[in-house]
Amino acid sequence: MTDNWIEVANADSIEMEDLIRFDHGDKTFCIYRIEDGYYATDGMCTHEAVHLEDGLVMDDEIECPMHQGIFNIKTGEAVSPPACEDIKTYPIKVENDLVYINIS
Amino acid sequence: MNSNKISIIGAGQAAIYAAMEIRKLDDESSITLYGDENYLPYERPPLSKDFLINKKKEDEILFFNKQFFEDKKISFVNKKITKVDFKNNILTSYNDDFLYDKLLITTGSTNRKLEVNSQIDNDIYYLRNLDEAVKIKDKALKVNKIAIIGGGFIGLEIASSLNQLNKEVSVIEISNQIMGRIIPAPIANLVKAEHEKYGNKIYVDSKINNIQKTDEGFKIILENENIIEAEIIIAGIGSMPSISLFNNTDLKLDNGILTDEYCQTSIENVFAAGDVTNFYHPFFNTRLRLESYQHAQNHGINAGKNIAGIKTEYISIPWMWSDQFNLNLQLTGHCDEYDEVIIRGNTLENGIIHFFIKNNKILGACGLGLIGKVGRDIRIASKLIEKNIVVDKKILLDQNTKLNKLMKN
Repeated sequence: MTDNWIEVANADSIEMEDLIRFDHGDKTFCIYRIEDGYYATDGMCTHEAVHLEDGLVMDDEIECPMHQGIFNIKTGEAVSPPACEDIKTYPIKVENDLVYINIS
Repeated sequence: MNSNKISIIGAGQAAIYAAMEIRKLDDESSITLYGDENYLPYERPPLSKDFLINKKKEDEILFFNKQFFEDKKISFVNKKITKVDFKNNILTSYNDDFLYDKLLITTGSTNRKLEVNSQIDNDIYYLRNLDEAVKIKDKALKVNKIAIIGGGFIGLEIASSLNQLNKEVSVIEISNQIMGRIIPAPIANLVKAEHEKYGNKIYVDSKINNIQKTDEGFKIILENENIIEAEIIIAGIGSMPSISLFNNTDLKLDNGILTDEYCQTSIENVFAAGDVTNFYHPFFNTRLRLESYQHAQNHGINAGKNIAGIKTEYISIPWMWSDQFNLNLQLTGHCDEYDEVIIRGNTLENGIIHFFIKNNKILGACGLGLIGKVGRDIRIASKLIEKNIVVDKKILLDQNTKLNKLMKN
């Protein structure tokens, strides 16, 4: 399990209530920093093929910039239409000021 | 909770979201959608875009599959309602009668038709539903020169899609700018330039004098004497609320079905939502009739809540978008009167947004940029409008400062 942690970025390089895009192999993710800590989801909206990197983070939700579907950042739950399919979430840890994602 | 027979006339976006909301709140009542199209409810935005260019097929634009309807106990009946008896709560489809306890009307809107001359009026294509999109797609495959009458969102989206199918497209717009007066001229000009960059011809200030049939198709003669030749003509010249079913009934109509902020019509237990309504918006303290995806969805959800007995005001801030080529345009708010315009950004790569300001508050905003580049700021603008927040104009102007900061004030 420990081998599957991949370094993403410096912890302070992500602003509070914001996100960055992280690409690894042929996959793309969003890494969020909110009051409660760091979280990660798939990068693409489940409704249409648009990246959430330009979306709006409000509290613990991410809103798609295309059609305003909303997902819970912590659970991946689709909380507002047109999104109806949940988005996948991934474990995140912060060690020595570095953010790691586990995509196994 | 009492079990009701809830009927919905129409099976578009407002209908399906209303049905889902009712089911979320009420597991007992029956819910039946009556739709005159032979398809389960589907999303209309792709019809002028991904569906036309073969990136999405019919089954990919359905909101939900058949199983979903069964699981949610939502019935879809493919019948055209031909009469409504509001006194006795009866819907009629030719020889069949259906009783209801509560009724939701989501009949949407109908395209305005071009009236040039009787020889060609029936040859003109329109786009509102899937059948019409299929017809346009099939026909476009066989021709090269296509004229689009009307430089509004629908006409321009079709022009963008047909260009991507390598067609020679001419767009004919009667007024002096595309997309209507609500879009700032500099943004309209950037969209026009994008079309022209890919080879579309856009004719503004162009009133049609006559259209003649030729061996190849049509000759469109403009009042300024320009002549445009085309093998097919598609018109997108606006729409009207679909209310013909309710003429000569007690239902109050005025540019649509009149509803209050709870989607309630003038008749008890009869609600209406989406394009067909001229609804009271308490935030703007005025009546609005909107034709957009977000409105149809949210108004449908609001109607669902009120039908299920959860009295809820509709206060959603209007928002819409259009995709043409690689550009995404978004518009929010209600921009009738403003005293100042603040422009944020100056490249399509990072997005350009015009904020319409009155008394240091945002009334509305219009943004244009590459796909994904204006959504966040437009969404924040919607929230700032909704919360009635006085904004720091320096932050609005400075694209290097995130607009989230304005929410904290």
